[in-house]
Amino acid sequence: MAAPRTIRTVCPRNCYCTCGMLVTLDGHDRIVRIEGDPANPATGGHVCLKGLSYARRVGYHDRLLTPMRRRQAGRDFDPISWDDALGEIAERLTRIRATHGPSSVLYYEGSGSHGALGGLSMAFWRQFGGCTTTYGDLCWPAGLEATRLTYGANLHNHPRLTRDSRFILIWGHNPAETNIHQWRLILDAQERGAIVAVVDPRSTDTTDAADIHVQPYPGTDAALALGLARIIMDAGLHDTAFLGEHAAGVEQYRARLADYPVERVADITGLDPAAIRGLALAYARTRPALLIAGFGLQRHHRAGQTIRAVALLPAVTGNVGVAGGGWQYANLASHCLRPLPLPPEPAGMRAIPVSQVARHLDTLADPPIRAAWIERGNPGSQNPAAPRLRAALSSLDLVVVVDQFMTPTAACANVVLPAKTLFEEEDLVTAYWHPYLQWRAKILEPPGHVKPETEIWRLMCERFRYDTTWFPADRIAYLRQLLPAGRESALEALMDRPLDLSEHGDVAFADRRFPTPSGRVQFASEEAAQRWGVGAVPEYAHLDEGHASALADRLPLQLLSCKTRDRIHSQFGNLDWVREVERPHVIDISQQDASARGIIDGARVAVWNDRGRIELAARVTPGIRPGVVHILEGWCHEGDPDVNALTAEGVTDMNHGATFYECLVEVEPV
Amino acid sequence: MSGAGFLVGLHRCVGCGSCVLACRIENGRTEEQAWRRVLPLNLRRHPGGPTYFLSVACHHCDEPACLRGCPSRAYEQRADGVVVHHEDRCLGCRYCEMTCPFGTPKYDDERGIVSKCHLCAQRLDQRLAPACVAACPTEALRCLMPDATPNTATPTTETLPHVASDATPSAVTRTDVPGFVDPAGCRPNIRFTPPRGARRAALFAALEEAMRR
Repeated sequence: MAAPRTIRTVCPRNCYCTCGMLVTLDGHDRIVRIEGDPANPATGGHVCLKGLSYARRVGYHDRLLTPMRRRQAGRDFDPISWDDALGEIAERLTRIRATHGPSSVLYYEGSGSHGALGGLSMAFWRQFGGCTTTYGDLCWPAGLEATRLTYGANLHNHPRLTRDSRFILIWGHNPAETNIHQWRLILDAQERGAIVAVVDPRSTDTTDAADIHVQPYPGTDAALALGLARIIMDAGLHDTAFLGEHAAGVEQYRARLADYPVERVADITGLDPAAIRGLALAYARTRPALLIAGFGLQRHHRAGQTIRAVALLPAVTGNVGVAGGGWQYANLASHCLRPLPLPPEPAGMRAIPVSQVARHLDTLADPPIRAAWIERGNPGSQNPAAPRLRAALSSLDLVVVVDQFMTPTAACANVVLPAKTLFEEEDLVTAYWHPYLQWRAKILEPPGHVKPETEIWRLMCERFRYDTTWFPADRIAYLRQLLPAGRESALEALMDRPLDLSEHGDVAFADRRFPTPSGRVQFASEEAAQRWGVGAVPEYAHLDEGHASALADRLPLQLLSCKTRDRIHSQFGNLDWVREVERPHVIDISQQDASARGIIDGARVAVWNDRGRIELAARVTPGIRPGVVHILEGWCHEGDPDVNALTAEGVTDMNHGATFYECLVEVEPV
Repeated sequence: MSGAGFLVGLHRCVGCGSCVLACRIENGRTEEQAWRRVLPLNLRRHPGGPTYFLSVACHHCDEPACLRGCPSRAYEQRADGVVVHHEDRCLGCRYCEMTCPFGTPKYDDERGIVSKCHLCAQRLDQRLAPACVAACPTEALRCLMPDATPNTATPTTETLPHVASDATPSAVTRTDVPGFVDPAGCRPNIRFTPPRGARRAALFAALEEAMRR
């Protein structure tokens, strides 16, 4: 029996907060306490309900503890040994490769568990001769690229400086649910007198606490941003000194603003001109002002141009490089690890856009996809066109899914392999809100027959008689060599506390040096025009599938499928502890839209478009903008991955993102 | 107010439920009913009222109805006001369930006895905040101690650069808010700060005004 002990680690979920955690085990290796790590100044000694729920999740009754094989007919699985599972997989992969070539195998990895070691899967696939992977990202890539084109890098101020803001403009973001430790800092700032303004078509826990809330049509944010800038510059409230010294293309930008008088912007966004003016003047007159943009306003195909338009506002007002001010989208300061040593890339590699997996499973040729290996993801619930994706998976010759639980994706597999949890293997975890690199400790032995993915890949290499020396013999030595050159000795310190290994300091761009082509903030970007075929100066254009499109005559409601505090996408929703406190699964619809359709609160409704149809209960709420409806994503309680039956497999204007929020529907009583 | 209890910052609480889970872990309530609950008010966001959340467990009342109604003297009121339930003295008669107006005691079918929040008395004795308070990610939930100074001490406070260890409630605290009443005169030791934000604050004021009339 071991002694009771407390171990420092980190939550590796795809979440802004990336909390440092202290996990206390009793003498029987049972988790008896989970707390936030006070050594992480961003998350401040707290985790959230998801972090706490690991105490339930790790030993939950339906966790997969052994490899499982689906019976020839039907949906039932039987436990099998690792030897049988890997033997069968190897045999089928070999046969498929012989017939169709290595790129007939899709290797899909999601963002379900962050850690540097995840990349070791490629040590197998590269020796296999290649495979088909995905490129782009379902979540945030357009905004990353837009920020890079504008400021040269995705960096922002240290979270602690949020408390120094006097005005916080939150745009397309709901930190009270999705970045709760930032919300704590925003509340602190508000208690110290800061004004909080929110741009969101919905009402949320964030907007409830706001001093100003405007609700534009989804997809019109670029027009709103350009309209705000026009008002600010017409009123002479822009920072002429900053623009003169640190901006490029301002004249072209001002010429563009001529197209965005407040009356037109009001018409596009559906907002009151007085509300637009009020927001513009309040933002420009209060310093320092912080602008926090979420990922929500870039989940349509005009994503990049939208984020570019919004990202320029802090530059217009001279809030860049200022404590308490700035532009916040994502902070990649901790993304400093060296690439994993891997075998050379073979010729047989191919890639498809991650937002179009379903389509490519059905239609890809030369060679077609005949097998899929899926880990750290649940594309059968979380990707656009999810039902089509599941059907396509079910028609393949081999599907392997590695997961902790029987997800809707795993249910399509021939073989399901049990995955480790965060407590069962060491790793290094980066973040995208705070600047800290963190050590993920191994706290527990994997239960049952669970093996970490790195071990699964090593065993696969062994079975194929490939070189296994790419895999770590000693994980600590292996992870040490991934640290930035000259900082290898920081590994022991990392075990003790989170470290900011970047040299950017707490205030991003404090020196007003921008790694852009001009060395200045790019109000006009030739790079954007050349690389992505968009206007050099950001502009607004209607969505193809938005409130102003022809399709809206037939399908008049814009569907948003936002994130909740209760889950990270589809993770955690299976746990009873989480279900007890989670938000109800409903479609939010305005009073006006509900009345027009004879829908009363609580009624069961059908939500449909040309791609699919789902049913659920309606919540009639005055909080949502008329013309907009909303369903929380990630709900798959009864194996029913609702909302992505309706979403489209679009691609954003920049950087291959997904277009979940460009989705028109109609709602009717059942 | 004389005994220990809770301060719920309605202006900071987003109803996330971390307090419920932290309580479950600390007190080993894995399968059983949770001692703490989060009651959402107006999730539909009806324009006539604010949306806020009441995170409640036991209020450690000055006049505890559970204690008065217990035939087996399973309840004890400590000097600091914490109302503790001794499971080894519990008959499982469930009278306390009937007498407590707040639904605090939870009956466990398998064990045949009730149990309830004891304000993490074992942690208080070590000068640690209750688990729910320590876990609250927005620092909305706090512990009030009998000398009327808020005990904001968490296991970690001193090392947090952005949490003043001498922080005091920033708004006037009140003993009742719309949605919470003391029907049996138990004098519960729970205090609230009113919600903040233009919408919440205005609606809250209107609601209070309506209740006064």
